[in-house]
Amino acid sequence: MTSSIRTFATERAAPARAAPAPTPTLAIEGLTIEHAGRRGIACLVDRLTLEVRPGEIVGLIGESGSGKTMTALSVLGLLPRGVRVADGDIRLSERSLVRMSAADLRAIRGDRVAMIPQDALRALNPVLPIGEQVGEPQVIHRGSSWQAAKAKAVELLRGVHLRAPEQRAREYPHQFSGGMQQRAMIAMGLALEPELLVADEPTTALDATVQAQVLKLLREIRDTHGAAILFITHDLGIVAELCDRVYVIYAGAIVEQGAVEAVFTRPGHPYTQALLRATPTVRTVQTELVSIRGHIPSPLELPRGCRFADRCPHRFERCASEPPLLEVAAGHAARCWLLEPGHG
Amino acid sequence: MLRLIAFRLLAFVPTLIAASIVLFIAINVVPGSAAKAALGIDATPQAIARFEHQHGLDRPLHVQYLAWLAGVLRGDFGSSFQNHVPVGPELLARLPVTLELALLAFLIANLIAVPLGAIAAYFHQRRTDFTITFAATVMGAIPNFWLATLLILLFALTWRWLPAGGYVPFTEEPLRNLSMMIMPALSLGIVSSALLLRIMRSAMLEVLSSDYIRTARAKGAGQGVVIRRHAIRNALIPFLTVGAVEFGFLFGGVVIIEDMFLLPGIGSLVLVGIINRDYPVLLAAALVITVVVLSANMIVDLIGSMLDPRQVHGRSGG
Amino acid sequence: MTDLAAPAGRPRGRFAGSRHGLLALGGVLVGGVVLAALFANWIAPYSPYELNVAAMLQGPSAAHWLGTDELGRDVLSRTIFAARISVEVALVAVGVGLLGGTVIGIVAAYFGGMLDMLLMRLMELLFSFPAILLAVILMASLGTSILNAMIAIGIIFIPGFSRLARAATQAVLRQQYVDAARTIGMSDARILGREILPNVVTPLLVEAAVAFAYAVLLESALSFLGLGAQPPEPSWGNMLNTGRGFMAQAPWLGIVPGMAMFLCVLGFNLLGDGLRDFFDPHLRD
Repeated sequence: MTSSIRTFATERAAPARAAPAPTPTLAIEGLTIEHAGRRGIACLVDRLTLEVRPGEIVGLIGESGSGKTMTALSVLGLLPRGVRVADGDIRLSERSLVRMSAADLRAIRGDRVAMIPQDALRALNPVLPIGEQVGEPQVIHRGSSWQAAKAKAVELLRGVHLRAPEQRAREYPHQFSGGMQQRAMIAMGLALEPELLVADEPTTALDATVQAQVLKLLREIRDTHGAAILFITHDLGIVAELCDRVYVIYAGAIVEQGAVEAVFTRPGHPYTQALLRATPTVRTVQTELVSIRGHIPSPLELPRGCRFADRCPHRFERCASEPPLLEVAAGHAARCWLLEPGHG
Repeated sequence: MLRLIAFRLLAFVPTLIAASIVLFIAINVVPGSAAKAALGIDATPQAIARFEHQHGLDRPLHVQYLAWLAGVLRGDFGSSFQNHVPVGPELLARLPVTLELALLAFLIANLIAVPLGAIAAYFHQRRTDFTITFAATVMGAIPNFWLATLLILLFALTWRWLPAGGYVPFTEEPLRNLSMMIMPALSLGIVSSALLLRIMRSAMLEVLSSDYIRTARAKGAGQGVVIRRHAIRNALIPFLTVGAVEFGFLFGGVVIIEDMFLLPGIGSLVLVGIINRDYPVLLAAALVITVVVLSANMIVDLIGSMLDPRQVHGRSGG
Repeated sequence: MTDLAAPAGRPRGRFAGSRHGLLALGGVLVGGVVLAALFANWIAPYSPYELNVAAMLQGPSAAHWLGTDELGRDVLSRTIFAARISVEVALVAVGVGLLGGTVIGIVAAYFGGMLDMLLMRLMELLFSFPAILLAVILMASLGTSILNAMIAIGIIFIPGFSRLARAATQAVLRQQYVDAARTIGMSDARILGREILPNVVTPLLVEAAVAFAYAVLLESALSFLGLGAQPPEPSWGNMLNTGRGFMAQAPWLGIVPGMAMFLCVLGFNLLGDGLRDFFDPHLRD
């Protein structure tokens, strides 16, 4: 067990909070996403359930191909062609996004829910000045004039700590550094003070110092705006540092969930345990880089039982059938038969 | 911005010079052909020698070239072998005809290619896309001179709506001029539009699958806004830079089309030069067409670059 | 939830089969032209030179499926024999272009540096010339004949092929097996022949199909202008040219040769597109 992550998690300053509000900002229930292709139907996300409450930063952690990006896109209704929600519901403050009309969905997108993508440079239109792009949500949703929108954009850029925002607003994306581009994307996302921010690996492409600044910014946003943030990543360190609760996703299904301290100090699922072992940290000296044997199953051929079984060192006969989420402790659950009472 | 333009213009000059060299060499590939062509097959060696000396054709090739180039830069394009009339003024008189034809063809080609290419990309891999792409493939296979023949058959001979040939300057009778230019322009424009359509479609497809389009949608922009504000301009950049060369090819077709429709332009002058074996005329006309083609090529490419802030403003970073 | 990524419409994949349909169509058209060219003597009902002035300018009939021209010759037969000329010229021209272009392209990519830059700038310049103009000029100085047409068109194709050959060669050079070959002492020439050439062939094949179409077009244009095959040799181009003069009385004289050109060019274009899809579907878009 990497003690450093554990220490990191408990040392993290967590603002004292009252019991969470009853209505979650984001409630995903039994979400199943499928892709119909020439080779058959691929199940990208399988009966996924998660929620994010107002003012919470929830981490969704998994490796590439685990379905985390599809989950993010489905919340915004931007699934690529051929990929669709086959079952389940996604609710934003009690309003079902799945059952909504395209027009209503468009009204919500950018206004009540916003996305912060991974590669900021590619997510920005190269031919429009930053100010116009950051101000665009105003024009779309509030019927603002471009002049007012651009003025608002300057304020938003100032809010994400970009120096000389008036000058920056007139510049183009390629003239910004990586960190600045990401801040601009964040400013764009915040423009209309959404209830929910979906951040899809926003810091993966940034170097460590810039990453720290962006994370600090996100925390600030949570504190000042009270937005709920769904933070998707593969980096445990960030989750430990930033998130309140975490869901671990593997091959399209949630395999563990709970408060960050709980999950990282007493991981219930072998996958989580392996992830924690495999994460190199600055504080511990590791004698070898531990990697997880095997690879993630293809969404076209998901195993019948526990989907982690062939890579699991603790596999036994029970694993031939898929485990439900079983309790590890209060508010902390993992999808593993080892947790079944009587197995210990 | 100015630096970009200046740089391009500067790079253009050696291209023009190189092109003139290529043309000069192409015409003089077979030595002695000019004299033989002008005097006839039975010409005696003495007559040929005299002719060549008279016109400076016995000098070494590079000397001839330099003398010719010097003349061209002065505005002196030599004189016709046939009637010894200076070519320059003839070129000037014919230029507006060719330019008008080229411009109209260019407009038609783009009016077809840009919207249809964008639409095909938008409906990618659906029936609309397939239909448009197939139509473009078919259109692109039509020889422009055959299309001209068919148009004449239909509009001039069968329905008698349009004249089959001839020319009247736009400044004199605009409507009549257009009625004479429309079929030639269509012949050139429609066929060229096919390739341009594919280029536009390709450019648009790439743009539509890019991340910033997704961002626009994530902001709640409707389809119209996404296309108008975010997609089109980004697609135009590669369209113009890649399509620039095709614009050149469009203009090359004036050689045949002007001849068919009896338009007194530079293209038909090329043929006059060939038929009469009048090499100064041929060379001069070919040069003008080449200059127009290369210039159009360069200008379109330049406009494409100017639309791209990444090319206009370098990285200022920070 | 509706996905606003694209508008509603028929599902994707429905027309995947049509791509093969187009390739088949191209194959049929090309096959037809090649057959006509090879077996003209057996297929054509009449000799292309056989005059029958009494039967001149007759429309399509049982005796003459595509009618007769201004000298009473059977249009169908002449069209079939004209295919032979087009195919011959296109074949040689593409061959010349392919050969010259491949050599230049491979040499430029392999030796790199100043040579590469010079060669490529030259190729680029030649490429931006309107093909018709160059063809016409070359014919003017070389003299009007079918052989010269082949050479002229071939020269025009060299830049296009050279660019392709160069790109393919560079891609291959980046692979490690060339370095491996070099380290075991293989000479440059053998490397070129055994490692590079086979990989360059595929894209060149696709380009050749398209070039074939263009060659037919150029040859037709040249003969249309009187600079290619000379009468009484039938060529689609010169048939169209003479046919133009009789459009009022005998419109089929203007339609038929052009239609033949069109179908031939279309066939080769479809073939080229189909080959490209076959070898690398991702190039399509």
